[in-house]
Amino acid sequence: MSRPATESHDPAGSDGDGTRGAYPPPVRRIALDRAPTVVADDPAERPLVSPSIERALRPATGRERLRIDELSIFYGDAPKPAVNAVTLPVHEGEVLALIGPSGCGKTTLLRSLNRLIELTPGARRQGRIVLDGEDIDGLEMTRLRRRVSMVFQQPNPFPMSIFDNVAYALREQSRKRPSKRDLLPRVEHALRRAGLWDEVSHDLSRPALRLSGGQQQRLCIARALAVEPEVLLMDEPCSALDPISTTVIEQLIHELRSELAIVIVTHNLQQARRVADNVAFMYLGDLIEYGPTEELFERPRAERTREYVGGTFG
Amino acid sequence: MLARLRGPLTDRRAGLLLGAPAVAVVLIVLAMLVFVAIQAWPTFQHNGLGWLGDGPAPTGGTVDQQLGSMVEGGEAPPPSAYAIKAWPLIFGTALTTVLSIAIGIVVSVLAAIFIVDLAPRRVRNVVVPVVRLLAAVPSVIYGLIGILVLVPFVNDNLISEGQRQSVQNVIPLTGPGLLVSVVLLTLMVTPIMIALITDALESVPRGWREGALALGVTQWRATMSVAVKAIRPAIVAAAVLASARALGEAIMLSMVSGSNGYAPRIQDGLIFLFEPLRPLAATIAENTESINSAALKSTLYAFAFLLLVSCFVLSLGSYFIKRSLRAQGAR
Ligand SMILES: Nc1ncnc2c1ncn2[C@@H]1O[C@H](COP(=O)(O)OP(=O)(O)O)[C@@H](O)[C@H]1O
Ligand SMILES: [Mg+2]
Repeated sequence: MSRPATESHDPAGSDGDGTRGAYPPPVRRIALDRAPTVVADDPAERPLVSPSIERALRPATGRERLRIDELSIFYGDAPKPAVNAVTLPVHEGEVLALIGPSGCGKTTLLRSLNRLIELTPGARRQGRIVLDGEDIDGLEMTRLRRRVSMVFQQPNPFPMSIFDNVAYALREQSRKRPSKRDLLPRVEHALRRAGLWDEVSHDLSRPALRLSGGQQQRLCIARALAVEPEVLLMDEPCSALDPISTTVIEQLIHELRSELAIVIVTHNLQQARRVADNVAFMYLGDLIEYGPTEELFERPRAERTREYVGGTFG
Repeated sequence: MLARLRGPLTDRRAGLLLGAPAVAVVLIVLAMLVFVAIQAWPTFQHNGLGWLGDGPAPTGGTVDQQLGSMVEGGEAPPPSAYAIKAWPLIFGTALTTVLSIAIGIVVSVLAAIFIVDLAPRRVRNVVVPVVRLLAAVPSVIYGLIGILVLVPFVNDNLISEGQRQSVQNVIPLTGPGLLVSVVLLTLMVTPIMIALITDALESVPRGWREGALALGVTQWRATMSVAVKAIRPAIVAAAVLASARALGEAIMLSMVSGSNGYAPRIQDGLIFLFEPLRPLAATIAENTESINSAALKSTLYAFAFLLLVSCFVLSLGSYFIKRSLRAQGAR
């Protein structure tokens, strides 16, 4: 317990102790503790990392792209669902952050949005997910995953050149193998959107695995953007990265927001606060609270939210 | 005691200690190559490039007749005793090796995909040890099965009378031949390839596959375009290992190839598959008792030289292919 635990209230009985013990989990503590190395220590006076990330509270006004409707996910014989009857909207042009202690079902929820959860043996789903008015079960899987693209926690560029990584999905989706020259404009566009173009344009044939961790993650973002998705899912995209790369990617999220809907899972409350328009707080599979970022952090309504958010902001 | 040994073992000394055997191996291999080359020299000298050729030698006859007449040359043969055109044997070697490796690569990649991606745990727990066991079966057992089961089967069920008659003046079709040889050779080399490729495929990070699937490609394409592509160096390595085994296989092929110095003719159509042959290694094995004939001895060394050089070329080739693939990050 290296963080000063300044609880403003005393949670009742053993239940309170249990929840305090449950989060934040030790593994992620490192990430949380490390974040302040770029940010001032006192959260109240903390200057935001980059002026461009700073922004006023902005209600999500775009139209609804994705609706998660009474979604439950069960793993195997586990009696309790990993995600329990969650209902959430995702709007165009917003960043929605999913926060909550480890194991609360954030990844599970995210992976069900592009039906990647179906790869997990024994995973069952209840409830609906609607993309632009259509149930995603009715969409062709390959089509769905291009409209709802994903970036993973661990950067996972393919063992190919930078160019081939970004062009991968474009090549796979076209019947006739397009030439490098035909692909270049779209590859360049994706790399520019991911803020990587200037660093790699001199040699696109470099192996992707020789890039730094932060560059690799931005390459994965470029790869996901190359298919022109409507929704971008990001599962703790910065948890494996150093603070500087984290800043770069947060900036990127901020810039991409106008063009597509982003759902980001993060363990880092400051990060959620910096990048998100709306925040959903999950606990043990339940959606506890959902609302505009500022509101949820400043005036949380549920006691659990207050505890979790308070754990960091004192 | 152990600590005392460990103490003075500096990196430099360890390097020398480990380097010495490596150097010794290289020296032995080189010495072997030089020795074989010197022994083979007379036959190359007498035949020139014609050694690699096809058809009757200046003294006439098929390869087998040429080899037979060498035995009569004795210890001090006349130059004409060296006459040979070895193409049918070389072709037989290349044909059986290339076909079995080509089939082996396809089969083993598919089998490895099945084992790693599709097979339920229970099936897999049976298949993997069985494959490893098969990789260790002595080749003579395959030869025995070939002679007792496959050869009669091919002779009785696959070769028609019409086919037999159409080539009866050129070559007798009796069952043993290209088909049985390739089937058994494939069976012999594939298990080790499956084992190696399965290991490689298992070491492919899950994230690559999931990354591909998340981009909207099908499971099959994710496997082929990412996982299999990533393990190309391992596939090359497995193919080279299997080629070396196939090139050197003597006993089994001697049993089931028909042991006839004949070059199967592709233009014969389906009959091609039933035509007999005999690869270099089997030829060496079958002629070792006549080694006191100088001409035959030199010829057998020449066969050995060819096999050795082929293996070196394969290893070197695979080294360069692997290096260029790994430069892109494949494993
Ligand atoms: N493949 C799986 N099989 C069984 N249970 C799983 C699996 N993946 C996750 N879980 C369980 O589901 C719950 C939610 O996990 P997850 O979605 O990974 O949480 P988070 O991303 O919020 O840390 C956890 O209790 C975890 O143990
Ligand atoms: Mg997670």
